[in-house]
Amino acid sequence: MTGRVALPGTAPRVLTVTQLVERLRAALDTPFPAAVWVAGELSNVRRAASGHLYFTLKDDESQLAAVMFRSTAQLLPFRPADGLEVLVAARPGLYAPRGALQLYVEAMEPRGQGALRLAFEQLKARLAAEGLFAAERKRPLPRFPATVGIVTALGGAAVHDLRTVLRRRWPAARVLVRPVRVQGDGAAAEIAAAIADLNRVPGVEVLIVGRGGGSLEDLWAFNEEAVARAIADSRVPVVSAVGHEVDFTIADFVADVRAPTPTAAAALVVPDRTEVAATVARAAEALRTGLRRRLAVARERLARLERGLGDPRRRVRDLGLRIDDLAARARTALARRADWDRRELARLGERLGRASPAARLGHAEVRVAQARERLERALRVRVAQARGTLGAREAALGALSPLACLARGYAIVRRGGPTGAVVRDAAVLAAGEPLAVIFARGRARARVEATERDDG
Amino acid sequence: MADATVPARFEDGLAELEALVRRLEQGELPLEESLAAFERGMALVKALGERLAEIEQRVEVLLRTEAGKLVAQPLGDED
Repeated sequence: MTGRVALPGTAPRVLTVTQLVERLRAALDTPFPAAVWVAGELSNVRRAASGHLYFTLKDDESQLAAVMFRSTAQLLPFRPADGLEVLVAARPGLYAPRGALQLYVEAMEPRGQGALRLAFEQLKARLAAEGLFAAERKRPLPRFPATVGIVTALGGAAVHDLRTVLRRRWPAARVLVRPVRVQGDGAAAEIAAAIADLNRVPGVEVLIVGRGGGSLEDLWAFNEEAVARAIADSRVPVVSAVGHEVDFTIADFVADVRAPTPTAAAALVVPDRTEVAATVARAAEALRTGLRRRLAVARERLARLERGLGDPRRRVRDLGLRIDDLAARARTALARRADWDRRELARLGERLGRASPAARLGHAEVRVAQARERLERALRVRVAQARGTLGAREAALGALSPLACLARGYAIVRRGGPTGAVVRDAAVLAAGEPLAVIFARGRARARVEATERDDG
Repeated sequence: MADATVPARFEDGLAELEALVRRLEQGELPLEESLAAFERGMALVKALGERLAEIEQRVEVLLRTEAGKLVAQPLGDED
């Protein structure tokens, strides 16, 4: 007789493994008819290819294997991770194939903070590590966008505010609204798709993505990764406009510019019409001032040049005056010389008369007469000489004067008008060109019939 | 004679106007060019001003058809 234990009065009952496991299962069901909340720390978290989430829930002294099936695990907004303190709603059960006791987790909450808050922090940290919030990724907004794309719910306060402000400030911008649901299941996917759609529309130069204010749950779509990725991938700059003055959403961090409200976003993406009109008016005034200044500069320069140029006729007049002056001075000098000669002669005559001795009077009278005659002849010659010199000098002076040249029948030919260039070479002239011909007295307007070259 | 055409984009028109003002203010342009710049500038001022006065906001919604095509349709007034 060996090992089998026989209980008195009963045939020994042998259970199959499965039967035993079934009994253990039933034994577990009694104290745990429904899920219980269990607090613990996650460890050894892994997501299987099936999508089920496996982990160990532990505290300082104990641990239990746990599974959360895909259908519930995929709805978790945050990512379960090792070390995370959680509350789980779970029923303990036996996993028959391995005879293992494990927790079947139906819900999970992070401890100490809300699931959404945790999800927010996790996504924020992850995207920041990727550099999606980096300042150098931020693009400047266009100054005068031709088309403003808007991703928001139709009929909400946000779209109303956006339209009002855009119309008031810059009606030149076309407004293209891509309507989406901004909260509830699937809202994030719709928002992300709308951002991509508007990126494909030609002319859209800036996007406003947003909604009016709401609770953290209402704004949740703007904290989801799909929206963040769509904003980061946008070809055109994105302004986030989630109407929540205090808290930032993930969309705010990724967007090129964050506006606290839709109204503020509209003011950011378009210029103000009155300000632009004032700019244009200032430009007009600056143009007028600039031209006035430029004209004044030109006028001043012209006046300066005019002064430097002088009047050619005045120079001719000045030359004439100088010649007259020289001639007058020459005449005076000659007359003075002739006077002197006459006085000298008279003095000599007197001296001669006084010196004549009476004894030699007869002979002397003849000599005096002869001498007087010679003297008078000499004087005449001298005066004639003087006159000749004067005449020659006058003629020489006269030859210097252009007026004298003109008097001799020469004429000055100028191109165009009386102040034009003096023509020295017929080759510069063209047939039909107007000329001014200046004579000693008066001038004539003429026109070139033909020009000829001197032969040889 | 100044060219009366204004760039299609308001921004380009304004940029051209600002550039003209700068050049004219520097005072180094030849007189003829100053005049041309002034006339062109004033033509831009007039055209930009008219454009500012005339424009009406166009608001459309972008919808996806059953076939998956995107179409823009006018969005009526809110009132």
